[in-house]
Amino acid sequence: MSDLPVPSELPVPSELAVPSELAAYHELPVYLDNAATTPVDPRVAVRMAQVLSSDAEFGNPASSSHRYGSAAAAAIETARSQVASAVGADPDEVIWTSGATEANNLAIFGIARYYRDHGRHIVTSRTEHKAVLDPCAELERRGWKVTYLVPEYGGIIGAAQLAAALRPDTVLVSIMQVNNETGVMQDIAPIAEVCAKQGNSWLHVDAAQAVGKCSVDFGGCGAHLMSLSAHKVYGPKGAGALLVSKRGARVHAGDRAGVHLTALQFGGGQEGGLRSGTLATHQIVGMGLAFQLAGEMSRAELRRIADLRDRLWRGVAAIGGVLRNGDAQRVVPNLLNVSFEGVEGESLLAAVSPRIAVSTGSACTSDTQEASYVLRALGRSERLSESSLRFSLGRFTVERDIDAAVAVLSEAVPRLRRVAGA
Amino acid sequence: MSYSELTRRYFESAPHAGVLLREDVSMPDATAADVCTPRVCTPLVFRGAAGNRDRGTWVQFDIRVAARRCLDARFLAFGCPHTIAVAEWVAEQASGIALCTHLPEPCTALALRFEVPTEKLGRLLIVEDAWHAAATSALTLSGGDPMSSI
Repeated sequence: MSDLPVPSELPVPSELAVPSELAAYHELPVYLDNAATTPVDPRVAVRMAQVLSSDAEFGNPASSSHRYGSAAAAAIETARSQVASAVGADPDEVIWTSGATEANNLAIFGIARYYRDHGRHIVTSRTEHKAVLDPCAELERRGWKVTYLVPEYGGIIGAAQLAAALRPDTVLVSIMQVNNETGVMQDIAPIAEVCAKQGNSWLHVDAAQAVGKCSVDFGGCGAHLMSLSAHKVYGPKGAGALLVSKRGARVHAGDRAGVHLTALQFGGGQEGGLRSGTLATHQIVGMGLAFQLAGEMSRAELRRIADLRDRLWRGVAAIGGVLRNGDAQRVVPNLLNVSFEGVEGESLLAAVSPRIAVSTGSACTSDTQEASYVLRALGRSERLSESSLRFSLGRFTVERDIDAAVAVLSEAVPRLRRVAGA
Repeated sequence: MSYSELTRRYFESAPHAGVLLREDVSMPDATAADVCTPRVCTPLVFRGAAGNRDRGTWVQFDIRVAARRCLDARFLAFGCPHTIAVAEWVAEQASGIALCTHLPEPCTALALRFEVPTEKLGRLLIVEDAWHAAATSALTLSGGDPMSSI
């Protein structure tokens, strides 16, 4: 069982209590979409509310001339340390952003602008998040070359694959640590070794889905840049960070040691000039506590979640005609991605969504259905990619949620197959 | 994507989903592959289909016809909730009416009735094509004029 307190056991001020009309949990769909976002941990919400209502911490953290600003700045530095501690980084390597998307953009465009005279080639993979793929596509429009690696079976990028793709003019490699659709974990260290041998390319890791699910060690894995998100870790939306290594000993000609980025926004010079703008104290404090809690998550809790995920898989597999996506041996504990044979994706989601909140592998909102590009890259057919569901469990998932989900799927999938004559 | 209450009701219930079997043979577990090859299952049951599963939408209608009327209709549909809901509605409405190659309502009216987004109107045309194929089969193979009711 979980050694973390469940929400009902936590001290929540009355003014933060869930309205009674929303408290009827059984009337809400079972939430199995924690990879999309997590509910804010009540402890985080309480702390954020304290900052918002504080007479002492409301100041502008950049206003160091008075105690209000100093208090806010102190709260932010505490959060910086909490985040750094949770991911094996130094506090001064943390650059606050509005989330992982901004962090990815800052990493990719920041490197591209600074090192464009060194080379204009980037290596990434076809299964990255759009927050990486779209910036790369934009750089292609500006004349850059991008190599998109196709993962090996199960979703892994092989070190040899990467080595073959690197060129003398490669300046950036961007590989995610945990895939947001399949949950497959990438071993970053061998990737970093390949980059180090090549000598020119910086390694950026999108770790938005990794924190709290597997070990994240920025200092030890060899990455130079790492994107983080608060709302995937029971923190608030609108907060994230880019870790920028200051320990990198590698030097480009004429550069001092460490990674250099060109800022994308200007006006105030906050965050060492890399991300101007008044810092959102309450968001950052929330992220700090959320990361501290994630770092304190016990092996027993991860085991509990993995057991629930396995229980879900056993129930889904019993329906028959289902295929598990991604390498089951290298997937984070909370995620299960399944393709259902003989059912259409949009109907599948429509059938289950009133009672289970999950994500589908397709973006079927128009006449042109878009199957999951991640699953397509892993070799699934377009049809099976569209009829896939991503179940992502979380800190507050309990056994009855899993059993309810299995019951819904056990009714909906056979019904849709009957309707389809499958 | 959100769906109208009507769409959701027809999508979720779909009592007319299935196939029509030979009346004189008890085949409760038969599937589409067991019967209806070629398209004429019995002298009274006809089948038409349109679309392609690999392209995301496929619809089939079975209709039982006698005395110039559609006695009963069943459908199979691989498609989105709008496709299934409209196919169910067509099968429901067709029972007991004079057989015609046209849908009980034109696609434009069905799109309004079920609040089908404009970009998905092509799927209603597949429902229409499947119905047209079944009705034409009935009208042609029973010696009638496929362009009119029998």
